[in-house]
Order: sequence, then C-alpha cells, then structure tokens
Amino acid sequence: MSTSASALEVESLTKVFKDRGGIAVRAVDGVCFKVEQGEVLGLLGPNGAGKTTSIKCILGLMRPDSGRIALFGQDAQSAYPRILAKASAVLEGSRNLYWRMSVWENVTFFAALHGAASPEDRQYFGRLLKLFALEDKRDTEVRKLSQGMKQKASVVCALARRTPLVFLDEPTLGLDVETSLELRSVLKQLAREEGRTFVVSSHDMHVIQDVCGRVVIMSSGRVVVDDQVSHLMSLFRTKAYRIGLRGPSPDGLHARLAQEFAGATVTEAEAGAEIKVNLSEDNDIYRLMDVLRSMDSVIDQISREEVDLEKVYLEIVREERARS
Amino acid sequence: MKLGNVLAAVFRRDWTMMKRYMVNSVSSLMSIYMVFMLIFMGLQSVSRYASTSGLDGSLEGTIVGFFVWTFTIYAFSNLSWNLTNEAQTGTLEQLYLAPCGFKWVGACTIVSDFVFSFVPIMLLLVAMMATTGKWLRVDLISLVPLLLITLLGGHGVGFALGGLALVFKRIQALFQIVQFVFIGLLVIPIHVPVAKYLPLAMGNYLIRRTMVDGVRLWRLPPADVLIAVAVGAAYLAVGIAIFSWCERVAKNRGLLGHY
Repeated sequence: MSTSASALEVESLTKVFKDRGGIAVRAVDGVCFKVEQGEVLGLLGPNGAGKTTSIKCILGLMRPDSGRIALFGQDAQSAYPRILAKASAVLEGSRNLYWRMSVWENVTFFAALHGAASPEDRQYFGRLLKLFALEDKRDTEVRKLSQGMKQKASVVCALARRTPLVFLDEPTLGLDVETSLELRSVLKQLAREEGRTFVVSSHDMHVIQDVCGRVVIMSSGRVVVDDQVSHLMSLFRTKAYRIGLRGPSPDGLHARLAQEFAGATVTEAEAGAEIKVNLSEDNDIYRLMDVLRSMDSVIDQISREEVDLEKVYLEIVREERARS
Repeated sequence: MKLGNVLAAVFRRDWTMMKRYMVNSVSSLMSIYMVFMLIFMGLQSVSRYASTSGLDGSLEGTIVGFFVWTFTIYAFSNLSWNLTNEAQTGTLEQLYLAPCGFKWVGACTIVSDFVFSFVPIMLLLVAMMATTGKWLRVDLISLVPLLLITLLGGHGVGFALGGLALVFKRIQALFQIVQFVFIGLLVIPIHVPVAKYLPLAMGNYLIRRTMVDGVRLWRLPPADVLIAVAVGAAYLAVGIAIFSWCERVAKNRGLLGHY
C-alpha cells in the first residue's frame, strides 16, 4: 500500500440489475471518481441515482458487473474482505444497531469486529460518545433512545471501528434540525482533527454544503458533476440572475424568453414582473438586454440570485434529465 | 489476534442477548420439555395398554434422541434464524463489513451458541431423566466430542438454510419442516441401509451407545466414529458450499440487506 495513494479510486464501476420482466437496469453505469486521503466527499443524487449501490459495491456488499475499485492503492476485489480493515460505514442508520443492546455494548461489539478492543480504543469510544452527547446514554438500550440518538449511535459505531475511510449513507436521515447541526459539527471536527476520509451520501444539501469539500453528483447511475463545492457554487452564482421590470411584462415576453433562454421564468407581481434566468455565457446578458429592449420592457433592477447547493443540485439534475 | 477479538465480542453479544431475552430462552426450553412430557406420557400409556416391558430401552433411546434433537435444533435454528433476523433488523450488512469475513463471524457465532446452549440443554436432560426416573451416563469427555461431531451435519443444514434465507427471505416454513425431518433422522435405526450416511443418524447412535450403554469414546468402533466425522464434515461442506453460492447470488442481486 502506498501512503500517497488515493483513499478511494473507482473506475468504470457498473452494476446492472434485472427487473421482474428480465429487463436490464443499469443502476451504476461506468462511474469513476477518486477520493484523496483526508478529503470529505459528498455523494449527491436523486433516489435511484446509484449512490447506495456504488457504496455497497465498494464495500463488497454487492458484486459489481465490471469496473475497478481500489482502497488506499490496493485492489478491493482481490483483497476482500481483508481490505475492509480500512473502511467502515453507516448504511441504514439506526437499523445498523442491535436495539436490545446498550449504546456501549453496540460500540464495543462492532469495533471489536475491526479489532479495536484495546484500553486505548475504549478511551476513544468514550471520547466519541462525549462528542456526540451520548455519554449519559452509554448504558441505555438502543430501543429506548430517540431516533436522533439512535442515528448518532450508529455513526459512533462506524467511527469506533477506527478505519481511515468512513462511508456515511444518509447520516442525518430523520434527524431534527438541531441534531443534524450537531452531527455536522462533530463530523467536521473529526475530519479536521483525525484526518480521516469521509464519503457522505445524503439528500440533505445543507449537510453536504456544510461538511464536504468536494461533491460528486450522480443521476441515472452516472456521475454528472465532480467538482469542489466552492467552485460549483461560484459557477452557479454568476449564472443565476433576477431582473425586476417596471410594470407588468409585455405580451409575448414569456414566450420569447422561453425560446431564447431555457428555464427562464417570468412572475407577475404588484410592483412589476420579475424574470429569473440562468445565463450560461458571458454575452448572454447582452442578448437578454436586447430582447428586453426590443419588447419595450423597462428594467427596474438586476441582481445576481443567491444560490445554495440545493439550487445548484436541482438545476444540474433537471438539466441532466432534460438531456437524457 | 483479531479473530480472538471477534470471538470475544460475539460471546459478549450472545451473553447480553441471552440475558435480555431470558423469558424467551426459558420458555423455549419449557416448551421442548413439555413436548417431551407428552411423548413420555404417550409411551407410558402404550406400555400399560400393551403390558410390555420393552418400553425401558425405547424410553432411554427417546431421552437421548430428544437430547440430541434439542441440540441440533438449537444449532441449526440459531444459525439460519439469526441470519434471517439480522437481515430483517439491518445488522447483517454490518457483520459483513468485518475484515475477517462473515464466515468467520458465523463460525464464532456457532461456537458461542454451542457454549451458551450447553448448560440449559444439560439442565433439560437432567429434567427429562428426573421425570422418567431413567438416569443415563453423562460422561462429558465422551459426550462433548460426540455432540460436536453430530452437530456438524446440523450446522451444514443451518448454513444451507441460512443461504437460502439470504436469497428467498421468508422461508420460516422450511425451518419448521426441517425440524421434523431431524426427528426422522434421529429415530431411523442405524442398520437401515444408507442410514449411517444421513446427517445426525450415526452421531446419535454413538451418543446412545455412550449414554445408555456406558461405552466411552475410545471404546467405540473407530470405523463408526470415522463415518460420523466424515458424514458430518461432508454435510457441513455441502452446507457451506450452498451458503457461498446463495451469498454470491444475494450479492449479485443486491439482496444482502433486504428483507
């Protein structure tokens, strides 16, 4: 194993399922991405995009049809299951725990499967419980915990295995805002302090935006975007414009805009019409001005629309769907 | 060594679970004892009606058969039922993430199940002997190895059914059928052609020789012991092969964590 190797390399990963009618469905279709050591990667995508299938293929819980997976420079398929000493995962949140056992019993059990059972390891488990505010619930049976606490306990069980790579599939599913914020803050702290590599799959854009440095967006089994979160945001921030018109929109403006700028919307308000449009090229703004001028529209104000990852994500996924 | 950690962890988990599900553990033993009582009373009625003195031998054989059957049921059902249960509750995939491999986690579970079921089933044996007034020889040095040999076949069936449960999920009805098949395998006389090559049959015969006739392990015919070991190992190997095949199918179809 090379110390400078990527934590995870996925090349041309493909997984095909057959539905009941025998028709092949490409759940994962030639997926490629890399995760560097110490990186926190977000895996985004709508339901059925192939996120969980990709994670399960990487962890050997599903058999891919083709492709190559390497963990820390080592071929995962040939080194399975020994390679799992380097990876742990939260796959189904609270369902990953024995509900009749206490938090501590769960943590020590799952950690021991990875050989983490020394007194020093136990000290670390105690620290994790403290970080996740579960110290008081250490000896409480999991079934008696709230959903949020169960979820946090399952994350603690994955982290307690002390692997350099951790997959968190929907770690904040079913959590209230406060608990989600708490979890995000702890994950950021652990990523910073311990230098572990995290792959976080979530529908919660705030989690990804807050915790991850880079994001891979999947749609219909394929990677459609692989970029730094900050770069993606700046890219979309410059594209999204909001134009306020003085008075209502002239007849035919909506149709004209729809024809020239895909996805443009016009909403009528008391103060005047408002246009929302994404401009993909630098001179698009001039074209838009020309259109408005030709239709005798009076511009009241122009502003760049504030974007968040959710808007970016929705736009990418919609574009991708329209394309396919 | 990591496998030692896994074994210790599995022991702790099973001990904890046994304590948490104590009522269930005790009631399942009670129900087995009650079934035995029904059989015993049935045998008594038959012997009174037929005024036969031949009951003695069959009663001792029944106790031994029931004792071996209980061990086998525990062995096979713990393996296959736990697998179904773990898939249902969502912990199975976590066990599959163990770097030693799921089969070793399963092997540790088998050892732990044997240890934790040993004392309660021995107590059941004592209760059966006290009820019938037939005190059999319990020579642990001979009995434990013979039980382990006999249970190899039971574990083979457990692995096979566990594998089928990974793919087909709801197969509890099959579990129940297998329990009755085991009864058949335990009552079948060893001199019936091919009987000795069926799972449990030869092991059960040797245990009866030890407990009823007082023959110690090293006094048993070596050929018979060898046949019991070979047959048990063969059924275990077939069971593991079926499990591995089913596991591959489950992984191909993405069914491992489903229920």
